[in-house]
Amino acid sequence: MPLLRMRDASFANATARAGPLTLDLEPGGRVALTFSSAQEATIVALMAAGIAKATTGSVLIGDYDPRVQSVHCKRIAGFVPHEPLPLDEGDFPRYVAYRAALWNVEAIAAQADARLLCERLEGMHEAFAFPLIGALIAMPRLIVLDRPQPAYAAQILRAVEGCALLSTHAQRSNAAAFA
Amino acid sequence: MTARAFAGMMQARLYVSRRLVAYSCGCAVLVALVAPAGVTAPLFLCSLVGIVIALDQTPGRHRHLDRCEQSAPLFGRELARAKALVPCIAALLATVLFACTQFSRGSPYGLNTLLVVPPAVVACALTALSATTRRGATRALYVLLACAVMGAAYALAVIADTFLAELAFCVLVAFFALRQYGETLARFDPI
Repeated sequence: MPLLRMRDASFANATARAGPLTLDLEPGGRVALTFSSAQEATIVALMAAGIAKATTGSVLIGDYDPRVQSVHCKRIAGFVPHEPLPLDEGDFPRYVAYRAALWNVEAIAAQADARLLCERLEGMHEAFAFPLIGALIAMPRLIVLDRPQPAYAAQILRAVEGCALLSTHAQRSNAAAFA
Repeated sequence: MTARAFAGMMQARLYVSRRLVAYSCGCAVLVALVAPAGVTAPLFLCSLVGIVIALDQTPGRHRHLDRCEQSAPLFGRELARAKALVPCIAALLATVLFACTQFSRGSPYGLNTLLVVPPAVVACALTALSATTRRGATRALYVLLACAVMGAAYALAVIADTFLAELAFCVLVAFFALRQYGETLARFDPI
């Protein structure tokens, strides 16, 4: 059974529009989607993570509908934004503690997991590594990456091993690194 | 929502607004040193501090916190409660510092400040929070509404000299403001 199911899912408001999109993502699967604009890529990533609600069509994350059961969806999906995190090395333990508190993850285990993930993501700039580590300490079954940096594709794919992965891109060449 | 998540969110929000909170407290001490008499100055100053720090919670000002909170498994009303406490704590801290400075200067108004100002501060901050999820004229309207609450609290507490009426008014305003903010946040479109 698919972990993420989108059926003609689209989003539209006064300033932004994305979709329609249909896809099935199985547990442990991987899909890299390319869109015509960065805004569309972000909207689809937010819909796939249960943060933005589709205005037409349907999105199911592990059989939960983000329109009515968004909390359940957010326990399954972890979202990694495109923007780098404006934190330095010294802020990292505080950031991990904050994420662990929000997801109700045991604090000491979260710090230990974060250190392990840091080692796995060696070579990746901390501004991009920290949000991914923050998402992974909650043990999501689906990771949604909004326009990840293709230069770090190898490290990212190694770190998210075992999770289903959906990445959105604004350029086809970037998507190829995550396909 | 666990108490830990609540505390974590509040701590993170206060940390990113720490400069604003520090300047507000400094300003409160300075004004208390210059004008230690009466409760008019602390009521208006601390309520304005509450409004300013509430507006600092506008989505987009601390983007990484917004994204974390939006992607966390929390309900809108839970987010609203945690976010609402941030401007209240900051403005109450300024109020306490104002009162302490009044006490230290031997002013008899310290206790009055501690009684009269906190209800107004909380009501103003919670009303102003609704402005953070809106734009343009509606946003300005909510800020004006928060200022009107401040004026009404002043009229009841200082001009009419009825503390209980001020307290009842502020509790009522704060209750409906927090409720509305929670509902707005639950429906809030992050795009």
